[in-house]
Amino acid sequence: MRTEMPLSKPIRRILVHTEELLDTEISLLRQPEAEPGGTLVDKYTYDIDSNVIIFPAQYVGLLKDFIIAKHCTHLLIKGAAAKKGEYKVCSYNADGVYAGMRQIYIDALKDEAKKEKKLPVQKLIQMLFILFSHFNDDINEIPWNAIINADVYHRMPKIRKTQLYHIMKESKNDMDEMMEQESIVPRRYFVLNKAMFYARDMYLAKTLPADELMPVLNIPQMKKFNHLEVKEMLTTRWTHTAWYQSKVFGDNMLSIIEKPLGPVNWKEEPTLDYYYDLYKVGKLLTDNLIGYMTMRDWFVWEPPKHLLDAHDHKAEYEKDALKRIFGDLITDTLVGA
Amino acid sequence: MALKEAVEMAKKGLSYAKRTKYKEALAYYNKALTLDPNYAEGLFLRAAALIESGKYREGLADCDKAIAINQNLSEAWSKKALALYYLERIEDALAASTRASTLNANDVTAWYIKGVCLDEMGRSDEAQEAYGKSLELEIILDMHADAQRIRQKR
Repeated sequence: MRTEMPLSKPIRRILVHTEELLDTEISLLRQPEAEPGGTLVDKYTYDIDSNVIIFPAQYVGLLKDFIIAKHCTHLLIKGAAAKKGEYKVCSYNADGVYAGMRQIYIDALKDEAKKEKKLPVQKLIQMLFILFSHFNDDINEIPWNAIINADVYHRMPKIRKTQLYHIMKESKNDMDEMMEQESIVPRRYFVLNKAMFYARDMYLAKTLPADELMPVLNIPQMKKFNHLEVKEMLTTRWTHTAWYQSKVFGDNMLSIIEKPLGPVNWKEEPTLDYYYDLYKVGKLLTDNLIGYMTMRDWFVWEPPKHLLDAHDHKAEYEKDALKRIFGDLITDTLVGA
Repeated sequence: MALKEAVEMAKKGLSYAKRTKYKEALAYYNKALTLDPNYAEGLFLRAAALIESGKYREGLADCDKAIAINQNLSEAWSKKALALYYLERIEDALAASTRASTLNANDVTAWYIKGVCLDEMGRSDEAQEAYGKSLELEIILDMHADAQRIRQKR
């Protein structure tokens, strides 16, 4: 372990455990512009020899410890799957981009038909791939976030308070995503985005357990649903709101999350097999969420390099998809703007 | 009172240190301390940069010089605790971090290092108390930083 900072005992233990189990090295890096949740740059995703956990420079105590614990756990899951030759991520290809953008476009047109103030065509077209890409990022993040937090909770009781604070903060930031674009993004996708975070937060609220994590208590836009009578909730006043719909879809997604995670024995010996099993559960959970959102033909399970290559070719994929959707109506001027 | 020019040099050094550019920071701190060798804050700032650069003994020496000039410089005690921890002098680090947290009860690092040292020495209950204090302060600082970021965005 290459580190230049004091670390509490549980964190030193998990770092050593991770390095030994995966026969690898981990460096810790403090950066002023790091993401609040830290970043894992690992050798199973990128073409590098060792792994780096990056965290915000201002985190000097337990907040950095939790970030390290979280990313070590993620590394263990990735590494265990990689050692079996089975580590894959949700990637995309040209056909998937076309399927996704086409579906988003159709849903956008349905929304636009009901609006008085229409979205400018250029903005609508630009939104298609951005939204597709956004869902690719979220589906590669949310299921694992739930699993990793559950594992850290069960294995590291001493950093529970830190974990709770971090999850509450992350939850508020996640729910704030897309808020500025609420009037632009088709309702379906706004709702599904919020629903995924709602389901994640509800799962963690039940697992930790921590009522404070329940979106109806933690998220300002959802507080109105707390203590609301079911009869009242079913009235038109509420059922037409995006946040109510997010709650309904979110409750369904919660069942999808709980099904594979319920039987997991979190106290099992933390061997490679245990983390490989967590990987399989995460993959199943991701597939089930993708199926629920009817996005099966959007994404493909491929090695991480495929996703990195997809990102390199995304402009090309977007352009091809637009050509397939709009034919000769699309011009380079419109696409390149 | 430190020389005005020394303070200016130290400020420049600090702006580099905040961006983790310790080599540049040290260059400015050295200039500051050439101008005023008894500039206590300059000494502990240089100590911090030396410690971040892995030069723990030199950092410790600067902390001791700063403390000799001003015994109540809590930041110097805090950095001293850090240097001693890296040098695996756990009991001394505990003493330094205890002194730092007594002088400045809002020093996150001092409380955290105290917790780490107590943990190392098998004094788990006391360690948890120190960690708890450190976390409380860290959360307050984090929330303030978030509020400031939101204000700056508007």
